[in-house]
Amino acid sequence: MPTISLQRDDLEALIAGPGEEPSRIPLDQLEQWLMLVKGELKGHNSDTGELRIELQDSNRPDLWCCEGIARQIRIKRQGKASAYPFFTKQQRVAGKLVVAPGLDKIRPYVAACTAVGYRVTASGLAQLIQTQEKLADIFGRKRRSVSIGLYRLAPIVFPVSYDLVKPDDVRFTPLGMETMMTLREILMVHPKGVEYGNIVSGHDQLPVLRDAKGQVLSFPPIINSREIGEVQVGDHELFVEVTGTDLWMVALTLNIFAANLADRGAVISPVEIQSPVKTTFGRRWSTPIDFGAPRTIPLDAIESALGEALGAKEVSAALKSYGYVVKSAGRKVAVQLPPYRNDLLHTVDVVEDVAISQGYARFPPVMPSQFTVGGLSRLEQMADRVRHLMVGLEFQEIISNIMGSQHDFCGKMRLEGTEWAKVVEVDNVMSLNYSCLRQWITPSLLQVETNSSRAFYPHRMFEVGEVAVPDRSADVGSRTVTMLGAVIAHAGAHFSEIHSCLDLLLYYLDRPFTLEPVAHPSFLDGRAGKIVSNGQAIGLLGELHPEVLEHWQIGVPAVALELEIDRLLGEV
Amino acid sequence: MDNLHPLESKVLLALTRQPDSPPTLDHLAESTGLEPSQLSMAVEWLLAKSLIAVHAETVAHIASLTPIGEVFFEKYSPIERVLSAARDAGQTGKRLTIQDIQSKEALEPSDVSKAVGTLKKEGAILIVQGGCIESTGRNSATAEAMRALLQELRSGSREQQAFSEPLRNVLQQHAVKRGNAREPFRIDERVTRSFLLTPAGQEVAQHLSREGVAEEVSQLTPELLKEGAWRTKRFRKYTISLRAPRIAAGKRHPYREFLDLVKLKLVSMGFQEMRGTLVETEFWNMDALFMPQFHPARDIHDVYFVKDPTHAPTIAEPYLTQVTRVHEQGMGAGSTGWGYTFDAERAKRLVLRSQGTAVSARTLAAGASVPGKYFSIARCFRYDQVDATHATDFFQVEGIVAGSDINFRTLLGLLNLFAREVAQAKEVKFLPAYFPFTEPSVEMHVRHPKLGWMELGGAGLFRPEVTTPLGVSVPVIAWGLGLDRMAMVALGIHDIRDLFSADLEFIRTMRGSF
Repeated sequence: MPTISLQRDDLEALIAGPGEEPSRIPLDQLEQWLMLVKGELKGHNSDTGELRIELQDSNRPDLWCCEGIARQIRIKRQGKASAYPFFTKQQRVAGKLVVAPGLDKIRPYVAACTAVGYRVTASGLAQLIQTQEKLADIFGRKRRSVSIGLYRLAPIVFPVSYDLVKPDDVRFTPLGMETMMTLREILMVHPKGVEYGNIVSGHDQLPVLRDAKGQVLSFPPIINSREIGEVQVGDHELFVEVTGTDLWMVALTLNIFAANLADRGAVISPVEIQSPVKTTFGRRWSTPIDFGAPRTIPLDAIESALGEALGAKEVSAALKSYGYVVKSAGRKVAVQLPPYRNDLLHTVDVVEDVAISQGYARFPPVMPSQFTVGGLSRLEQMADRVRHLMVGLEFQEIISNIMGSQHDFCGKMRLEGTEWAKVVEVDNVMSLNYSCLRQWITPSLLQVETNSSRAFYPHRMFEVGEVAVPDRSADVGSRTVTMLGAVIAHAGAHFSEIHSCLDLLLYYLDRPFTLEPVAHPSFLDGRAGKIVSNGQAIGLLGELHPEVLEHWQIGVPAVALELEIDRLLGEV
Repeated sequence: MDNLHPLESKVLLALTRQPDSPPTLDHLAESTGLEPSQLSMAVEWLLAKSLIAVHAETVAHIASLTPIGEVFFEKYSPIERVLSAARDAGQTGKRLTIQDIQSKEALEPSDVSKAVGTLKKEGAILIVQGGCIESTGRNSATAEAMRALLQELRSGSREQQAFSEPLRNVLQQHAVKRGNAREPFRIDERVTRSFLLTPAGQEVAQHLSREGVAEEVSQLTPELLKEGAWRTKRFRKYTISLRAPRIAAGKRHPYREFLDLVKLKLVSMGFQEMRGTLVETEFWNMDALFMPQFHPARDIHDVYFVKDPTHAPTIAEPYLTQVTRVHEQGMGAGSTGWGYTFDAERAKRLVLRSQGTAVSARTLAAGASVPGKYFSIARCFRYDQVDATHATDFFQVEGIVAGSDINFRTLLGLLNLFAREVAQAKEVKFLPAYFPFTEPSVEMHVRHPKLGWMELGGAGLFRPEVTTPLGVSVPVIAWGLGLDRMAMVALGIHDIRDLFSADLEFIRTMRGSF
């Protein structure tokens, strides 16, 4: 998940809270506190004061920023949640935002607020932009479900409208450009239009945000206007909007931004959203919005999941000092998440927060006590028997990658166009060297032989490993087969050598077999056999064709054996 | 004395037989019947042991034919050919110039002028007006000596002293010297040494003659055993400090040995092995693990998709319905669900297994025992560039523990056990972690004797949204161990690709310390 960059001074000031004197936090103390946010300190530059922190939790976008990390630590130190009056108390709205009909087909939802009284600093602006990018990129799936716009508030005249327009009807100067462009031109020419245009492509009308005077704020989710949508250091009146395809995600993202700006000293005023269609929030609501609802959880559920009788007092203290609103009554607690979070799917999510808040060291490990019998699958047992016998036959075990190329598995083996060339192929190939799964082991061993002409001879190698055999009748379109492959290579390698190994191997495994001639292109004609046991083909062996050896640039004769270990399991 | 090689004994005994006239190598070869190479080896050994000493060193000059000499023998030397050309011309009455001889006989100008000079000096030819050569009919001593030497030396090299003085002079004039390699003869110095026993050598030799040498043998044979003849033999002692000749063993791959040990540990802790398939549906690889279909880790850049067939025909019921419901509304599991419309077609999409947890999900659905402990060492595939820390496919050691006594504390207890048994770690630290399918989730760090603090694995309690749709009603631990770094330290390698090396010499010599 995301790795973010932040300034140590900025973090320390935010941890102290508004009006408090920040103090230097030793890095080891910081690392301890980062456990509260599932964060890991990845780097520290003592010259610039930059800290790099990786955040693990993909369901907690509120933590992907300096303000969020500081908030979680600050709450823990103060033992209670920060107060954000704009979430809970009725506020005077700063203005209205009117949603036009028809947007439900392309990008239906919007949320907005104003933030006044925080004078934007250079490091504060860097954090705002980083948060905007991380949220839109990762949480918003590259702006598809959520994108965020920040504006200077002063020039905006309410009500703002969220409209649908024809691509050629509206022109404005986008960020990063000098001239006015139509929406169509932006999609074709502007780097952001090229990068994100596919999100709105296929619609004959496009979304646009304009104010009462018709000034364009932005073309969401592509680009802001240069005049209004370029926040600069020193600005102290901001307008924030979020658009997207999911009502909850849009509302949550705005809540995070509102809390972040409030933490930096801004006064947040809501914006009233007017929707042409009824939503979960109705036709009119104002954002930020506290959409959370209290959830009543039996104390037993928490205690039994944690294995520790914490009691109502400790549970409620733990949750309060993690930002929850908590009311406890007897053996039940009613909990509600702070509005910048929306990750409570199940009681277990509360259970984890209790444990994180108290620290995992609070819970003494105890051994599971129930008795179980251990063991290996029959296939693994058979595979191990085969491996031990092969070692006794003086073969060196090899482990190879299962993924490889068709050229190695089929082409070099002279199998192209034959029934033996069927392999499981990958659709999204990254490198031609790794484009399919092996269907037999011999090519893996020949790869070793190719690299080992300088190792002293004879070479006797084997691998017991998995291969994938395409099979339409299998539920996943292929069978995973555990296979023995063996190769002997030296100046005098010949059929009877590998035949003797097979003979002895199957003698000890008590599987009588016969060899039937097989015309297999990888082997010399008349020197290859199908291994048949109990009327079933279980493998093959033979002298490798000189052309195969040439393809692999192998300079000595080689013989090979393939045996399906799965087939050794059935009744004889 | 104990260390005498049979060859040395033979030489020592031969020397005792000729106490008065110290023998040369040639003499010794005769008296011992040894090959020259064996003999000189034995003599050098004895000299090194100071059992024999050099009595005298004489230098002989040995004359022999060079390859040019061989040619001269067959096709005659320049002087012979010039003389014979002059005589032929005399008989036919033709005029013969030096240039004629050069072109006719295809000789080097320097050879011709040298031969003409010698023949003129000896009075065998005359130079007349116009630079023509005429035979006088007299013999040339040099030409005759040349022929005699060529004939004598053709049959073998001989000591220079064996030739008469005139022949010796011709020999020396026509021997290969520095600056003139194109000559028919060469003269080499040969040092002939004669040897005698030192006092220590005499002692050893006397001992040998008393005990007899025939007793010493190097190899015990079936015949010696059968006839009991070994009783009268002595067995030569070996120089056992020498390095042993190299052989190749049949043996397990060291990485597999490591994994076998992990397997043994898990089985001995009561874990049952489970197996799965290399190709999985997105359903079992991710949906059943409550990873929403929009989860970033399900992106095209994280998982390999199968080309053909792209989809499984069906997903087993009731799991498809139950997992769909839990994704959409959390129904049945006391959850809110993810609140999106589940795409059943997407669930059928075939992928290369990206996490061993897919095997755990299948095992739970197939009716895992309760209480039950399971593990798998499953090959998994990630869409990553291959480098020193990323392999195209790799082993994941994963598993589950189901039981009514499972909770957060028993989860930590189990991880403690893993740390102790699998990593031999005494110090363990638990950190909050995030996995899409567990809550609470833990990351376990252990203090490794060589690596310091390292992440050993991750674990957690399966979310009820995972277990409930699969028909499991007790808490289940899901755990995974990241053992590759530990294996690399145990095998002394630094590149993860070396775990799957294709270099036989490397595999033959790799060994683990675990």
